[in-house]
Amino acid sequence: MALVTRRFSVPARLGLALLLFFSLDALAFRTGWYVSILEPDSTAGFLETYLKIEERRPIGRYRQVLAIGDSRMGLKSRVANLLTGNTGCAFGTISVPGTTPRCWYYMLREVDPDCDRYDAILVPLDSYDDRTWEDQADRELDINYLAPLLRVADLPRFVLSYPSWPNRAHAAEAVLLKGLIYQHDFQAFLEHPRTRLEAARLQEEHAQEWYYNAVWERHSLAGMSVDWNAKTVALPAWLSPEKRSEIEHVLLDPPAPVSALFKRFRRQWLGAILDRYRGSRTRFIFLRLPRGPVVRPDAPPPDPSSMARTFAAEGRIVLLPEHTFDSLERPELFGDALHVNEEGGYQFSMMLAGEVGRWLASAPEGR
Amino acid sequence: MLFHTPQFFAFFLVVLVLFYTLPRPARRWILLAASYFFYMCWNQKFVLLIIALTAIDYTAAMSMRRLPAGPKRKAALVMSLAANLGFLGFFKYYNFLAGNLAWVLARPFDAFALQIILPMGISFHTFQSMSYVIDVYRGEQEVITNVVDYALYIAFFPQLVAGPIVRARHFFADLYHWRAADAREILRGALLVVFGLLKKLAIADQFARLADAFFRDPAAHAGYLAAWSGVIAFSIQIFFDFSGYTDMAIGLAQILGFHFPENFRRPYLARSITEFWRRWHISLSTWLRDYLYIPLGGNRHGRWQTYRNLLLTMLLGGLWHGASWNFVIWGGYHGGLLSLERLLGVRERQRWSLVDPLRVALTFALASISWVFFRAATLHDSLYILGRLFSGPHGHILWWHWQLWFVLAALVLAILEESRGWFERLPEAPAWVYASAIAVCLFCLELIGFSGRAVPFVYFQF
Repeated sequence: MALVTRRFSVPARLGLALLLFFSLDALAFRTGWYVSILEPDSTAGFLETYLKIEERRPIGRYRQVLAIGDSRMGLKSRVANLLTGNTGCAFGTISVPGTTPRCWYYMLREVDPDCDRYDAILVPLDSYDDRTWEDQADRELDINYLAPLLRVADLPRFVLSYPSWPNRAHAAEAVLLKGLIYQHDFQAFLEHPRTRLEAARLQEEHAQEWYYNAVWERHSLAGMSVDWNAKTVALPAWLSPEKRSEIEHVLLDPPAPVSALFKRFRRQWLGAILDRYRGSRTRFIFLRLPRGPVVRPDAPPPDPSSMARTFAAEGRIVLLPEHTFDSLERPELFGDALHVNEEGGYQFSMMLAGEVGRWLASAPEGR
Repeated sequence: MLFHTPQFFAFFLVVLVLFYTLPRPARRWILLAASYFFYMCWNQKFVLLIIALTAIDYTAAMSMRRLPAGPKRKAALVMSLAANLGFLGFFKYYNFLAGNLAWVLARPFDAFALQIILPMGISFHTFQSMSYVIDVYRGEQEVITNVVDYALYIAFFPQLVAGPIVRARHFFADLYHWRAADAREILRGALLVVFGLLKKLAIADQFARLADAFFRDPAAHAGYLAAWSGVIAFSIQIFFDFSGYTDMAIGLAQILGFHFPENFRRPYLARSITEFWRRWHISLSTWLRDYLYIPLGGNRHGRWQTYRNLLLTMLLGGLWHGASWNFVIWGGYHGGLLSLERLLGVRERQRWSLVDPLRVALTFALASISWVFFRAATLHDSLYILGRLFSGPHGHILWWHWQLWFVLAALVLAILEESRGWFERLPEAPAWVYASAIAVCLFCLELIGFSGRAVPFVYFQF
């Protein structure tokens, strides 16, 4: 098998072909061009919009505070910024529904590449214990969210963070072959190119205003009640059958167990975020979110060795007192079993802004 | 293990490394073991069927070697043909015949039916082994005495499940005068594999989605434009699917130092159905010509005998594809058109004239109409779709614009290949040209290659 002759070199030609292929891929998907025309409602497009808004948010003379988190993070920066005069803080948020600490790591790297933009970063947790039913480490959705943010150098860390081989392969695709990850989006673009370009233009022009002024669920669960013995829930009439079933499921199912896997996942990615900011001026404030419209009477005892408490004990983070937001755990402030409504968001944002402002004002400069 | 899956490429890489690094006497063993392993990935039990047929045909040919011309020699041939056609008939046609018998006897359709799994590739490897035994009987092929060599001829994995149907003299010429693929051949083979993948994943599977949606429920897509676009989507799917597979088979074999014959030569540029059959599935059409049409008398006994022979050959060719009246009609339709063209004196010409694009369009339309019988689930569906092609409101084309542009680009490349023959020159072109062609193919594959569940090749069912 003569791979190299006087006229032809198989390795050289195939190597050049691969080089050209990766160059084409990079030109299309690593220069930011394609990301600018991503479907705004796609997972990656949604996350990109959040990051772009935050990157463009002007940094003024106030202390900069950024909230990360998922859909449960009830901070409305528009509301929190009403108190800027009192708190001395300007708030931004990149809390994106469905994201995990793994996503937060890469999102923060994107909006704060030099770790010098923020005075504080708020990290919301459902619970200070590491309780979950889900194996977040193997969550495929993270790959879809993070595709635009991943670099070739991320290959080992990102890929190996997935325990299953199919997801590792998918994660490697997201790092190396961007086109494969954007395939559906690209084909949808080819089907309606004008519509997509128009949607991308509108998103570019108005997203900041839309997202900043977004109004959350106006309805509330006021009037609901739970009979914990009979395991029944009485809910307001405006809820759809699906919503009712979802709320009953969340409220009446037994509490999720402490998960060693989840604890490891949190240690890996929240730890990575903290390591990245080591030596910077940025403080990390961990807070427990309002748990729900009602709180179950048989709450399990706290786990003293949970990740959040361990980080706090090591002095790496500030852990707001666990019951800071208990007063917001009322049906009238929730739109479903997990998410605060418009009013709940308003009250939570006011309260959180006040707490953070007070804490930053009393904290020593630098670290 | 389909050709377009990562598992296959891992398998091929292992085979390639072993094949070229082990001592020469071990190489045919490697290829045979790999071929059986490849087949067993689909079904472990049916490899015994291939081994049994191999043993029967090998024995038949060996006995012909010892026997002089006469009844005993003929008996060996008949025994071999009976075994091949018996297995093929049982697995492929039993339920068809049983269903028709039940219909004649006014019994339920499945009264005599059996649960039979069709062994993958049986139509291809039985035709290949029959051609060998017939050639030995005719004295046109030397008897292969080494059973491993013969077993490899039948089971060689690049062409085992969907051809091309390789004649024994070509295969053994390669095997017995084997030389390692040189750099140009490897580059050509790699190009064929990438082109094949592109044809299959980026074109055939895209159009498969459209064709499947249309043929699943033709009534849901109103209008003749929808009907034509659904039918043409299948025309595109079947060509790119089958020729993509063939390109890969030829390319993979070439990298291993084997040379398969051309199986498709831009059939949709044919100017008549006669020419179409010289360009479409060439290894099957030449097999039918050599082992059916010519033995039937070919065109040697007058006009009407010729028409009869054409019709019979194409009817059996239709049945080769599948056991249903749809395939019989498909074959009959082509046989009828071939006879009609002969009656009208349609001649193949080298030079193109101004009216030839119209002839190409007409031939394509006629071929597309035949695919209705090939693809539709039932005869009733076929007739319904045919009716829809020529009546009713206009409706909407089912394709997206970009798919149309993609097909037009493929058409331009085909026309350029027809006139300039660029493909064979590509491996010898400057390195950056060759590399750019591969890179663009890979990029198209990345963006529009169908990445859902692997869609099997259409011809695997035959």
